[in-house]
Amino acid sequence: MDTHDGPLVPPQNRRVVLGFKEAEDLDAPDLPTESLPLNMGPSHPAMHGTVRMVLEVEGEKISNVDIQIGYLHRCFEKESESATWTQVFPYTDRLNYISPMLNNVGYALAVEKLMGITGDIPERASYIRVIVGEVSRITDHLTCLGASAMELGAFTVFLYALKAREWLFELLEEVCGARLTSSYLRIGGVSFDLPEGFGPKLLDILGRTRIVMSDIGKLLDRNRIFRDRMDGIGIITKEDALAYGITGPVGRSTGLAYDVRKDHPYLVYDRFDFDVPVGSVGDNFDRYAVRVEEIAQSMRILEQALATIPAGPFMVNNPRVALPPKSETYNSIEAMIAHFKIIMDGVHVPAGEVYSYTEAGNGELGFYLVSDGSGRPWKCRVRPPCLPATAVLTKVLPGLFIADVVPTFGMINMIGGECDR
Amino acid sequence: MSTTPISGTTPTPAPAAEMVTVTIDGQTQQFPKGTVLLEACNQMGAGVPFFCYHPGLSSPAVCRQCLVDVKGQPKPVPSCYTPVADKMEVMTKSPRALDVRRQMLEFTLVNHPIDCPICDKAGECMLQKHYFDWDAKLARNDGIKVKKAKVVDVGPRIVLDQERCILCTRCIRVCDEVAKNHQLEMADRGDHEILTTAPGHQLDNPYSLNTVDVCPVGALTSKDFRFAMRAWELYTTPSICPGCATGCNLEVHHSRGKIQRLIPRQNDQVNKHWMCDEGRLTYKRVHPTVGNLEGVPEPSRDGLRAAEPHYAHAPRLAAPMSGGSPVEWDKALDDAGRVLRAALDAGSSSVGVVMSAQSTNEDLYALARLTFDHLGLAEAYLSGLDQGWSDDILVSADKNPNTAGAMAIGAGRLRTLLDLANDLKSGAVTTLLVVGTHGVLGKDGAGALPLDRLQTLVVIGTHRDAVAAAAKVALPLTEWAESDGTFTNRLGMVQRVRAAVPAAGDSLPGWEILSHLARKLGATMEFTEAKAVFAEAKQKLAFMKDADWGRPLLPVQLRFAGSRG
Repeated sequence: MDTHDGPLVPPQNRRVVLGFKEAEDLDAPDLPTESLPLNMGPSHPAMHGTVRMVLEVEGEKISNVDIQIGYLHRCFEKESESATWTQVFPYTDRLNYISPMLNNVGYALAVEKLMGITGDIPERASYIRVIVGEVSRITDHLTCLGASAMELGAFTVFLYALKAREWLFELLEEVCGARLTSSYLRIGGVSFDLPEGFGPKLLDILGRTRIVMSDIGKLLDRNRIFRDRMDGIGIITKEDALAYGITGPVGRSTGLAYDVRKDHPYLVYDRFDFDVPVGSVGDNFDRYAVRVEEIAQSMRILEQALATIPAGPFMVNNPRVALPPKSETYNSIEAMIAHFKIIMDGVHVPAGEVYSYTEAGNGELGFYLVSDGSGRPWKCRVRPPCLPATAVLTKVLPGLFIADVVPTFGMINMIGGECDR
Repeated sequence: MSTTPISGTTPTPAPAAEMVTVTIDGQTQQFPKGTVLLEACNQMGAGVPFFCYHPGLSSPAVCRQCLVDVKGQPKPVPSCYTPVADKMEVMTKSPRALDVRRQMLEFTLVNHPIDCPICDKAGECMLQKHYFDWDAKLARNDGIKVKKAKVVDVGPRIVLDQERCILCTRCIRVCDEVAKNHQLEMADRGDHEILTTAPGHQLDNPYSLNTVDVCPVGALTSKDFRFAMRAWELYTTPSICPGCATGCNLEVHHSRGKIQRLIPRQNDQVNKHWMCDEGRLTYKRVHPTVGNLEGVPEPSRDGLRAAEPHYAHAPRLAAPMSGGSPVEWDKALDDAGRVLRAALDAGSSSVGVVMSAQSTNEDLYALARLTFDHLGLAEAYLSGLDQGWSDDILVSADKNPNTAGAMAIGAGRLRTLLDLANDLKSGAVTTLLVVGTHGVLGKDGAGALPLDRLQTLVVIGTHRDAVAAAAKVALPLTEWAESDGTFTNRLGMVQRVRAAVPAAGDSLPGWEILSHLARKLGATMEFTEAKAVFAEAKQKLAFMKDADWGRPLLPVQLRFAGSRG
């Protein structure tokens, strides 16, 4: 029962601040204050894609942050269960939609591993996969760098970066007919051979892109505004990177030298000479610098691949996986049936499960696939590389200023299509 | 209620038979003596392909697609024609067996037209399946294919494409052994051999559509389903035929909320692999506008009656009607409750209830509870479609799927429609509640029931027929393929009916409408799902004691369900 017989706070200590304040009240030490919840996103120019951050701020300072993902969830994994194995490719384009080819590669390798036909893939197909993948990695990093620089006021950098990205997208369009929704790979190879004159065109674009990168470097590297907002901001420790499972440029910026292409080589990556750049501080500038260097390394890989790509078939020689030639399909019942079965029933993948992982634009892109032996995945689970990197923000952002959210989030490069699936 | 013998040979004898030991692909297993070697191989998972063999028919071994190597035999043997023998050693995947089967496929495909894109069987074609599973090599032959007739009108429900036919003779045997009517023949020889009917004859027996099912390719196609829908896009839901008291097990094949066809589902106790043509077209009353055939064709000339049209396809009753105009459910239920309450208060002896032998056990149970327990009526009337033709194969003269269930639930309290006609004429019944209108007015629709004598008619019905038109209040009822429940067939088997397609318009299942109506009448009958009605009925009714509701099922798309073949 209520037994107190007087006010809990002695009346002489109580001060109630009403609408009208005396000047001395404002400096009073016991002025009642509270932290302010502040919504950033889900629709905010600096929130790449659609993500919502509920910041708890004390003045300009962030005391707590709640990151709410899922606004771009579109049931990719569930949807895959009612599509044939091949029909999943267009869905993977929409994962990290800045580097769709790398998602295509990750998925194709996973299905081939489950089917046990990894060794049968023709060499030329593997080279083509490396080439389109590395081109996609460059477009991925260019977009990340350009957009982040623009958010810090460097609009010119954005235009330069996207100019170079557009050259590469146009080249990919020549390869597969689409800038972004490529769906270029197939189980067992790629859908078409590289177009005529692809090599010289790519080398020319790489040369021009090098100039663009040098311009971007001149604009940003010693830029006071840029450095002030990048240096020492948003530091992720190596331990956190390991604990959260962060890979890719964000993981490497902390000094974690893990790159699937080097540590678990797939396709023909073991034939190329390239370096894995790592940072030392784990701040925003390290992430910027790692991406810039990775663009240069991707160009090295591309030049080596173009020099050594062999001639030959670009699709596996397996009639139950590869579509027959169109002329045969239209003129013989055998090829017609094969075409029909592969398209309508889907490529049959033996029952089993597999985890396959590749280095995508944001890090280790994993596909966990389960097959019941039919023409469609029983389960298709994606390990999105930017999910752990987004998760660590709840630890990194508190203590920073509101303005620091923009470069930090930009350098994490969270892609809604991939993170929310 | 006697077990009707169903024709067709039985490949596997009763288990009491003597056992023999057979080694198949290195695995040793015991089989009953007389088991067909093909069945034995496929039970062991060998997946030996075949075209002409069918578990419900005799084996002529004409397609040579099931050849396997048997130790000690100089040549590969057709496994569909060979009974297992003791100490037999079988190699289904020896290089020679694989090679001869591949050669047979190549041979079969030499004259096969490039029709997959326009063929109704594509996606469930055994030729496609076997070629892709066992051969998958490109053509070595670019000769000109033998041309045959593409569109042969062989009967009222079937079209034949002679080019697609692979001469397996399954259809001939279905007519001979199931329908007991020799209507199809092989003619000519060599690569000019064709399937045909004798001049002046046609394929019109009441089981003719089974030939379409057993056809391994798209040679025989159903006129009703032809070009209507790609087979692999269909979803399948198991259910029971509502066409007669036999209760054939079937699969409802549907797409985008519309039934496209009904296909028999194997049940050795009821229908084996077969189904009559009339039953296959019962879906028309759910969707009067789907499919190519307008209705069920007229009886054939040879005395073996084909399907008779036994219901007019009136449009579905989509919304509750009160006083002739569509109203909301609440208003309709209020109106129905009010007029029934007024009549009951004036004297319950003038109130009649008509049950239908077309309803599920669940709807009948709910109606019986309302009628006998809550309203206190002593008797009800049982309606249903008139008796029709029958045979000793599958078709029952009783054209209602649940007469046995209705009789058991009515338990001696049911009177006939003739009694109802007399009661209406004498003025003993002035208020009527009709649940299910199929057959209430008789076959020709005019009927002997003087409904105009009634003061009040409340109808819970599926169609906008004459009964619903005469009603003061008409409430839309789901058809059999739109609601869950059970039917009791003439053998007394309680079989599960599953909702395959969404309910038409605002219609609701009978038990649900009756629960709402009971509340309006001051009674409590709180059913929330069909399964709950089933569970209560199962406790109360002896004939449902062993019935099983089964597991919930998601419809499977045929492309992922494997070829039906």
